[in-house]
Amino acid sequence: MKGRALRLGLGGLAAIVGLVALALAVSGREPPDFLLPIPVELAIGWSFVGAGLIGWARRPDNRTGLLMTLAGVVWFGRQLEWLDTALASHLSHVSVNLFLALIAHQLVVFPRGEARSRLERTLVASGYVLAIGGYVASKFFYDPALEGCGGCPQNLLLVSANGELDAVANVVPSTLAILLLLAILARLAWRWRAASPPARRVLGPVVWTGWAALLITAVTIGLYTGQVSPTLDRALQWSTLAYTAVPLAFLVGLLRTRLHRGALSGLLLDLGDATSPAAVRGALAQALGDPSLEVAFWLPDRERYVDLDGREFETLINSERAMSVLEHEGWRIAALVYDASLLEDPELVRAAGAAARMALENARLQAELRAQLAEVRASRARIVEAGDAERRRLERDLHDGAQQRLLGIRLALRLARGELGQNVSAAEELLGEAEAEIEQTLVELRALARGIHPAVLTEEGLRPAVETLARRASLPVHVEALPGSRLPPAVEAAAYFVASEALANVAKHASATGVTIAIRRENDSLVIHIADDGVGGADPVSGTGLVGLRDRVEALNGSLRVESPPGHGTRLHAEIPCGDAPNGQSADG
Amino acid sequence: MVKWTILIVDDHPSFRRFARRLLEADGLAVVGEAGDGASALATFRALRPQLVLLDILLPDQDGFAVAEALARESQPPVVILTSSREASDYGTRLERTSARGFIGKNELSGPALAALVDGG
Repeated sequence: MKGRALRLGLGGLAAIVGLVALALAVSGREPPDFLLPIPVELAIGWSFVGAGLIGWARRPDNRTGLLMTLAGVVWFGRQLEWLDTALASHLSHVSVNLFLALIAHQLVVFPRGEARSRLERTLVASGYVLAIGGYVASKFFYDPALEGCGGCPQNLLLVSANGELDAVANVVPSTLAILLLLAILARLAWRWRAASPPARRVLGPVVWTGWAALLITAVTIGLYTGQVSPTLDRALQWSTLAYTAVPLAFLVGLLRTRLHRGALSGLLLDLGDATSPAAVRGALAQALGDPSLEVAFWLPDRERYVDLDGREFETLINSERAMSVLEHEGWRIAALVYDASLLEDPELVRAAGAAARMALENARLQAELRAQLAEVRASRARIVEAGDAERRRLERDLHDGAQQRLLGIRLALRLARGELGQNVSAAEELLGEAEAEIEQTLVELRALARGIHPAVLTEEGLRPAVETLARRASLPVHVEALPGSRLPPAVEAAAYFVASEALANVAKHASATGVTIAIRRENDSLVIHIADDGVGGADPVSGTGLVGLRDRVEALNGSLRVESPPGHGTRLHAEIPCGDAPNGQSADG
Repeated sequence: MVKWTILIVDDHPSFRRFARRLLEADGLAVVGEAGDGASALATFRALRPQLVLLDILLPDQDGFAVAEALARESQPPVVILTSSREASDYGTRLERTSARGFIGKNELSGPALAALVDGG
């Protein structure tokens, strides 16, 4: 409301001053020499105020509108010249300079509306310093009477009348002003060159008209430092009408971002038809004018982003790419990754995101489904692969272990039979060796069978099975907690193999001095914690043993997480839902 | 039958021990034993046996590769491959090897070995 009152005040002021000037001109009073033809004066002032007020009302968060309105109001300060007093004359002259400084200010900061870098602040400040300081300095040595302008208003700033110093005092600020304008022009050209297509859409009109207007200004200032013929003077006066294009260009620039918003209604229509995540992305890219737009969907249970096809999303966020996260009622839905130039209108990205929220939520669910499907396919393939690998290992273990020994025993028995009639003690010795081999074979077969599925787990459950595991481990295992009651066999087996694989990994890789195991029943889940004090650095993604464990746990709707910072040990955390199924019954029951 | 000199290559010490006694009982001269491919080659060069009884399943490389390496020696030995698996488990690899023949570990005896050497 405060902004609205201010807008009304400034707009009213500009309207009244303009109308008074018009009335004076129409009533036949001769306008002061300093003023341009009154239609030009009014066109410039009102174009700035009008465009500024529209831009201000539409984009209250952006100072461009405010700056334009101020420029227009300041421009009307020239009308003080009508008062024909010394002070009013000074003020009206300063108004022109301030007006130019305000335009320069806008050109530097458009379209954000505020200076962000030191360079921008320096350029803006230099404009205002030159506008006021340059004017004041140029009047120190200027005596209107000396210049043959007896009717001119008195120079209140006169220090000492000196024609030569006065010439210098006029040229120096003008030259500096031209240099400053050229610097801003160069910067505009550079910004245009570096801009991405969406940025150019917004920057375009301002760049071209800004260039034209500043060029005219630079030429005008340059010409007025020399002698100007009355015809040229007239032409230059009317050429200033070009300034009316400047506020229009700023407005178009602002409205282009507005037009995007217009495109938002189109976006809503497009989203209605969008049935796939790719179509939602296409509609958003269209609405934001950024073909490079990427959409990443958040998967809460996996705590990561996936792309349209459910694959893990990877992107670089840098000076050229920006990301905004879309949430709905506190839940993260998706992220948009887009050309950083759109950051100049973050509100638009937010608005587009908000408009697309429902469609994005749907698309997210689809992406989540696809991700799950992809994960299920991958884990299914891994489970089959793991099964095959397990069979290969068993075949090799059997051939290379037990069968090998049995063959040896057979040879020993054959030898013994040959010796029986001749050398009984040799035969006895051979039989003894055969017996020892049989004992060894039994040990190996037992170990093999336990590796396939430990009997104690089937017979007695998780507690004694894990206790046995801990006892047999090659390093000290501290068992903190184990569940006392029986659980569904699949849950017990998964928990057992998690513990067994984890202990094997620790023994193989961790260089640890001890391990702690805690397996607890918490609510409807079995929670497994295994921590060692080893070297850490285990890779939960590529470690095949860990992947196999995760598949096993996830097949039961559980989750498995491994934290293994280098140098700080490895902590494995798994949760397996186990329902209330008692002894020997399936978890589904 | 000529008294052949034999090198037994197998990673199981107990099998090597029994095989040595069996073959010696059958009149063959077992001059050395080796537990893997690398030491098989080294032992062969040191002892120059006429026959190498070579297990296919070795810890460092498989028996086929060792057989090829032995075939490249200046005076290559006769190589008989052996395994606890059956010949059919190895498919056509046994047809392509430079080894003279294959004998299952369960069929191992001096006469069976001699028949393979003579027959090949």
